[in-house]
Amino acid sequence: MSRSLNVLSQSLQAVKAFKLRTSFCLISVALGIASITIIVAATEGAYKKAFDIVALFGPDSVLVIGGSEEARAIGEREKTLTLADVEAVEESFPHAYLVLPMTAAANINVSYRQNKHQTFVVGSTADYSRGWTWPVVQGSDLTEEDVRGGRNVALLGVQVVRNLFGDGEPIGKYIIVKGIPVQVVGVLTERGTTPTGANMDDRVVMPITTVMRKLLNERKYVSVLRVRFTDQARLAHHQEELRLFLRQRHNLPDGEPDDFRVISPKEIILFLVALTGSLVLFLGLVGFISLLVAGFVLANLFLLSVKERTKEIGIRRAVGATRGDIRLQFLGEAVVITTLGGLAGFIIGILGSKVLTFVAEFPIHFSWKAFAAGLVLSWLVGIGFGLKPAATASNLNPIEAIRG
Amino acid sequence: MSLCLLEDIKKTYFLGEQEVEVLRGVDLEIPDGEFAAIMGPSGSGKTTLMNIIGCLDVPTSGRYVLAGKDVTQLSDDELSTYRNEHIGFVFQSFFLLPYATVLENVLLPTLYVDRSKWGDTQKRAMEILSMVGLKERAKFKPGQLSGGQQQRVALARALVNDPELVLADEPTGQLDSNTAAEIMALLSAMNARGKTVVLITHDQAIAAHASRIINIKDGLIV
Repeated sequence: MSRSLNVLSQSLQAVKAFKLRTSFCLISVALGIASITIIVAATEGAYKKAFDIVALFGPDSVLVIGGSEEARAIGEREKTLTLADVEAVEESFPHAYLVLPMTAAANINVSYRQNKHQTFVVGSTADYSRGWTWPVVQGSDLTEEDVRGGRNVALLGVQVVRNLFGDGEPIGKYIIVKGIPVQVVGVLTERGTTPTGANMDDRVVMPITTVMRKLLNERKYVSVLRVRFTDQARLAHHQEELRLFLRQRHNLPDGEPDDFRVISPKEIILFLVALTGSLVLFLGLVGFISLLVAGFVLANLFLLSVKERTKEIGIRRAVGATRGDIRLQFLGEAVVITTLGGLAGFIIGILGSKVLTFVAEFPIHFSWKAFAAGLVLSWLVGIGFGLKPAATASNLNPIEAIRG
Repeated sequence: MSLCLLEDIKKTYFLGEQEVEVLRGVDLEIPDGEFAAIMGPSGSGKTTLMNIIGCLDVPTSGRYVLAGKDVTQLSDDELSTYRNEHIGFVFQSFFLLPYATVLENVLLPTLYVDRSKWGDTQKRAMEILSMVGLKERAKFKPGQLSGGQQQRVALARALVNDPELVLADEPTGQLDSNTAAEIMALLSAMNARGKTVVLITHDQAIAAHASRIINIKDGLIV
């Protein structure tokens, strides 16, 4: 044990002595590890962000969107979900503790006195706040009576409040929505921007009945249906049941594609992670290539170094170093350098990701995982590419080493 | 008692197709405590003989008993350990590690030991350094020393593990005559303290310090 430590102390000394070799190897390893660090942190950041969003979306909920995927792809908004569908789902799914139909109208003009704003109006049933786990900061949520009576009341997103009222008090005031006077009953908490760039706070929420009749002139169709289930573990199962149930209700024959789409938290995560995926792939490639290059730089510089230090190896062998001691020393030199490179790379990675988050609002999350991944990879490079030079050094014949 | 006993040592090198017999049956006995000089012209096989005596090379045939053990049967690792314990080397061009200090150079043989027989190897190395008169230079790098001083560091390195045999290969070849005399005096002093010293040289004046001169010519002792 102490012998191995003795040998490794020689590795440390050589790392200090051969500064040029050390710095070249260190820099090339550091660049590779830096990009690997950013990749791991970015992937973690993407997942973390995705899970945060799912927590808002509701991990126990699915969203049914009317219209087939094909129609949506070409920008059409088919209406296929009916109020009757909503009632049928409510009756047939005992595990569904919330069934919320929603409808939406885009680009609706709203105004308060001379302040005008164009926004997105959501038609919801009662308990919008509870259904979307989206707290009301001021005032109160929509009630059953509001919905049943088709009342002219609204919850406002903070963006709308800012545009219409500035710093003024909105609760109880009347705003004009597409020519109809509507009383503000509540304000939703600020949610910011989605990863796709939509401002969540730029919306007006009104009873679904009011929106359908008075804004859309619609009696039958809703655009979205939100369903929350009590047993989250069986969500995938419920999702499939719901899909088959709606197909049956819509009389879709086998082979015909769905005329609606069911979205679960899983799909949201996949979508959000795919957003960062391309950058991760690019960085991954860069990181992998630069680590490979770093490895070859290391191997070549070490082979040169072994040649240069033939006499040293001969002396060590003469005074009693075994082949194993020599191999351990050179391998130790390689691993010490790559470890230092790994640490430097981690620091560069942190700085680099600061730039990334600043420039691209990229979600980055640093944890011990990024650190561990970098460290393990740097060891792998050190051992992998240090083996050959170390073997070359250990196989030198002491007589020739001394003579040379 | 003999420290080194060589019986019918032969060494053949293969240069492509050609077979070169460098040692052609060397019989040699070096008693414990002797100061011997091996002399011979270049190409006589004296370097090969030194490598074999120093356990750096193994003979093609024959028997070599060093300190009571037939070393021709040892593995590469066992030979390393045997060199470490029983032989100290002094080379013509000193062979110190340029990036290590004088003290670290002297300590080199103590690193390759599973368990040190010196409680405090640093102290041991400093004692030897003061014996060769370089205690004050312990923190210097070899490049800051004169040739004679460097060779004295090499001598200290050869002694640090207290080997029975000191093998000196042309130890004065790169030194002026005054410094050479100093080094030879140190070797004689080591011999007087009981070390067996084997000197390899082609210089009559240097060989004269030894108590026995062994001449080698064409791979045979003459």
